[in-house]
Amino acid sequence: MTRLATRRVLLVACVLPLWVGLSRGAPAATHFLLVEGLGGERRYAESFREQISGMLAAVRRTAGDEALVTVLAGTDATAGRIESAFGALAGRVSPGDALAVFLIGHGSHDGGGYKFNIPGPDVTGAQLKLWLDAVPAARQLVVSTTSSSGGALDTLKGAQRVVITATKNGREKNATVFGEYFAEAFAATEADTNKNDSISALEAFQYAESKVKAHYADHQRLATEHPQLQGERAESFMLARLGDAAALAEDPSTRELLDRREGLELKIADLTARKDELSQSEFLKELEALLLEMAEIQRQIAGEQAGSGEERQ
Amino acid sequence: MFRRWWWVAAGLVLAAGSPVLGQRGDGRGVRHAALGPCDALHDRGKAIEAAACYRGVLEVADPAAQAEAYWMLGDLKAANDWFREAIKLEPEDPDLRVRWGYLYIDSHQQVEAGDLFQEALALDENHVPAHLGMATVLASRFEGKAAELAQEALKRKPDQAEGYLLLGRMALEEGDLAAAREQLEQGLEQALNLGLAPLEAYALLASLEMLEGERDNRWVDKALAYNPRYGEVYAEQAHFYVITRRYREATERLRKAVAVAPSLWQAHAELGVNLMREGIDDEGRRHLEIAYEGDPYSAKTVNTLRLLDTYDQFDTFEDRGPGADAAVRAVFRLDKDESQLLLPYVRELTNRAIDEFTRKYGFELKSPVRVEFYPNHDDFAVRTMAMPGIGLLGVTFGYVVAMDSPSGREPGGFHWGTTLWHELAHVFTLESTDHLVPRWYSEGISMYEEWMADVRWGESVGPEYVEAVRKRELLPIVKLDRGFIRPKHAGQVAISYMQAGFVCKFIAQRWGEGKLVELLRGFAAKVPTGANIEAVLDISPEDFDEQFDDYMRDALGPALDGLPRWRRHLKAALESAREGDWDGAVEPAEAAKAAYPQHVGSGSAYVLLANAHDKAGNREAAVAELQEYERRGGRQPETLKKLAGWLEEAGRDAEAVYTYNGLIYNWPQDEELHARLGDLHLEAGRADLARREFEAVLALDPLDRATAEYNLARAYVKIGDLASARLHVLQALERAPTFGPALQLLLQVKR
Repeated sequence: MTRLATRRVLLVACVLPLWVGLSRGAPAATHFLLVEGLGGERRYAESFREQISGMLAAVRRTAGDEALVTVLAGTDATAGRIESAFGALAGRVSPGDALAVFLIGHGSHDGGGYKFNIPGPDVTGAQLKLWLDAVPAARQLVVSTTSSSGGALDTLKGAQRVVITATKNGREKNATVFGEYFAEAFAATEADTNKNDSISALEAFQYAESKVKAHYADHQRLATEHPQLQGERAESFMLARLGDAAALAEDPSTRELLDRREGLELKIADLTARKDELSQSEFLKELEALLLEMAEIQRQIAGEQAGSGEERQ
Repeated sequence: MFRRWWWVAAGLVLAAGSPVLGQRGDGRGVRHAALGPCDALHDRGKAIEAAACYRGVLEVADPAAQAEAYWMLGDLKAANDWFREAIKLEPEDPDLRVRWGYLYIDSHQQVEAGDLFQEALALDENHVPAHLGMATVLASRFEGKAAELAQEALKRKPDQAEGYLLLGRMALEEGDLAAAREQLEQGLEQALNLGLAPLEAYALLASLEMLEGERDNRWVDKALAYNPRYGEVYAEQAHFYVITRRYREATERLRKAVAVAPSLWQAHAELGVNLMREGIDDEGRRHLEIAYEGDPYSAKTVNTLRLLDTYDQFDTFEDRGPGADAAVRAVFRLDKDESQLLLPYVRELTNRAIDEFTRKYGFELKSPVRVEFYPNHDDFAVRTMAMPGIGLLGVTFGYVVAMDSPSGREPGGFHWGTTLWHELAHVFTLESTDHLVPRWYSEGISMYEEWMADVRWGESVGPEYVEAVRKRELLPIVKLDRGFIRPKHAGQVAISYMQAGFVCKFIAQRWGEGKLVELLRGFAAKVPTGANIEAVLDISPEDFDEQFDDYMRDALGPALDGLPRWRRHLKAALESAREGDWDGAVEPAEAAKAAYPQHVGSGSAYVLLANAHDKAGNREAAVAELQEYERRGGRQPETLKKLAGWLEEAGRDAEAVYTYNGLIYNWPQDEELHARLGDLHLEAGRADLARREFEAVLALDPLDRATAEYNLARAYVKIGDLASARLHVLQALERAPTFGPALQLLLQVKR
């Protein structure tokens, strides 16, 4: 997809209602901005709308606070409105917060760099960088599922920023399927590879990447997109909670247990980071001790859940 | 021996090293008279004097003479430039284009050579050297039309040596030694009458008598007496050993060739490739590097050297036979990216084949079998023929088997299990006969053994074969080799494979399998096909052909005259299915199946019927159709997976395992296949097999590695190896610390 021949104004175009609440995890809060670009053809427009809708439902549950989620779609997804949205975020986001931005649609790349296709003038990679830099959130995630999105990798990179793109460079100009799978990951237990009932940015990326590969292999076509992930600690961005995880997070009776579990997860992550410094038997011994503790906490959480279930009955 | 054929342009099959053209008579285009004295020195092996003489010709103000002189001095680029100049001056001279064409043959560019010969013929359609040049190009590709052209050239100009020598060479390649002798003796006589150097005739006669059993014969002596540096005589003999698959003997001849003529670059290249066929890679590389230094134009040399450079991307594993002190009996070379996945299955199948064929053919292997899998088809092609782009799937050089890896092919397009089995059968037929087995019989046994190994394996009967039987176009048994070596049409190789397989099946059914072994022993004793059939089966070859025809017609059953009906009904069934009228598809699909029940290729009636029955809610009937599809050799992985899934849903686990197991030899890259099979094995208490399948899942680097590690831990618990179970459950939990079932398992296996 080089450039859309026609620019249609989408019928569904609104700022969706916001949800208030706090998310768990290291950052004080994660702010989400979702932007749906032009579909051009009906099939793409419908697909982008579905993607945004699925992602929105998931991030609402994750954020737990309507004010943390902003959506721009259809005629609202103009450069001016996007700039305003970033401006608002720059005003209310704290340095300890995290920011996650999703650009769904088509993109292009010419001598001037990457462009995200929206009604009116397109947004360029350079503009996006400027607006992102103005938001004080120490941790940022930018996902562009568009064609040519890889052309923005260099422009958008930043010390504390994870950038995910559907393509490896600006020359991969065909419409992508990455976005469909990335959105699908938000509700896919198969994507939850660490089995913690939530989907991180890393897990969503890995899921989508493997699905894209399989997609082209199954259709016996040469892959015209090669998803990229740039930056560190993509696993720290929680995008979606699965099953009872959201309700559990809000249940005061399990709060202490969940905090303990989170502490243990951090210890395990630290131990894994030190793996090369230890002999295999030392590593396994320490890991086993932590995991046995984890097993006990999980048993208690299950007990609490069962109790809550009985009370509800 | 070559496996698979239908993608192979006829004639490519035996593209072994093309021989050196020693003859420079007028039959290959008129040359400048100034070259004559230099050629005489050259042909007598007086290299220094000849070089000085050719350098003198460079002073002659004739571009064509200069081109020839540069050519003989080894500067092919300058020769090419001067031919271009010569043609600018004499654009209507067909001889110039013919000579230029031979330069291209010398620089391994047969296509360009063919173009030049055609241009010469456009200038003069009666130009004999151009006809002969085309014949030479076609003969190098083993195309049947070559003989016609050579005969035509001889008819137009009988007083020449080259036409006879070319026909003699082709007869030798077909194994028709009597015809070869007749042509070669005439060629020699003509060469002597015309005052040409008789070296090429000597070399071909030396090859003829070598094939008759005398390796160092009088013609070798005559050639070396005429020119002590004429290594070509040995290289020519090696060529015929290679095309009759006697690689060790070829190596011995090529060593002699380069000893006599150290600057015979093509012999170094052939020696390098041949040593690799024997698994002697280091020495092979040395000769290829020498060849490259002297002749950088050879794609074969360059490609093979490049392939050798990729070998550090491969893992090598050795397998010993049973017993503590057993010798190595198999060596596996697998790409590092897939060795972990493939090794258990390749190893198991190889060992099963060795055990089976050792018992059946009464032959103990004398060297380890070396099995190589290439995920990149072009690497495999270079390994086998030293040229990329060929369509073969597997090749056996004595103890070395090289083949495509399943990952190098589309799912369902390549059954690696049946291919490996086929190639391993060749190891036994070749080695037990010292490579004297005729091509048709070795292929026939391999085809037959595929069918015997598993009802789902081997080739199913295609419409082309049915048509060939119906039209009585199969070759007589005594001429079946020609269908492989010099096929008359593109499809004849494939038909000949199938015919050879059915011949072996017919013999086994009619006279007993033991007769197959007796025939093999006859071939080892150099008994020709006709006499061997007569001695072992007590039937004349003519009667055998007649009885085989009856057998074949019975075996094909309704398909023999059913193809038109099959096409008509299948078309109707497919149209109904496309329109979503599945009920309407049933009747024509049933009729198509009845007309040609062997067909399991694209658009198979079995698959159509299975879909129709499933849509109608009759799953049992759908399963039955797919089981028949599978039994008859249907190979589409998705279809077979669907069958296995349906069988699981119906609680028919043993049958599901059978189907999943079959898929491993077809498309092992499927993570879900191994996971399902692992679960079924574990549920049935086959923990060792479950472990193998879960290890295969891990080898495929799954997205959900935690589950894969956990499953492997479960298998180890059942095996009773708690230490391994602990290791794998900890590895699962390292990735997924809150993974409930794994935490439960850890409590069971903790220290």
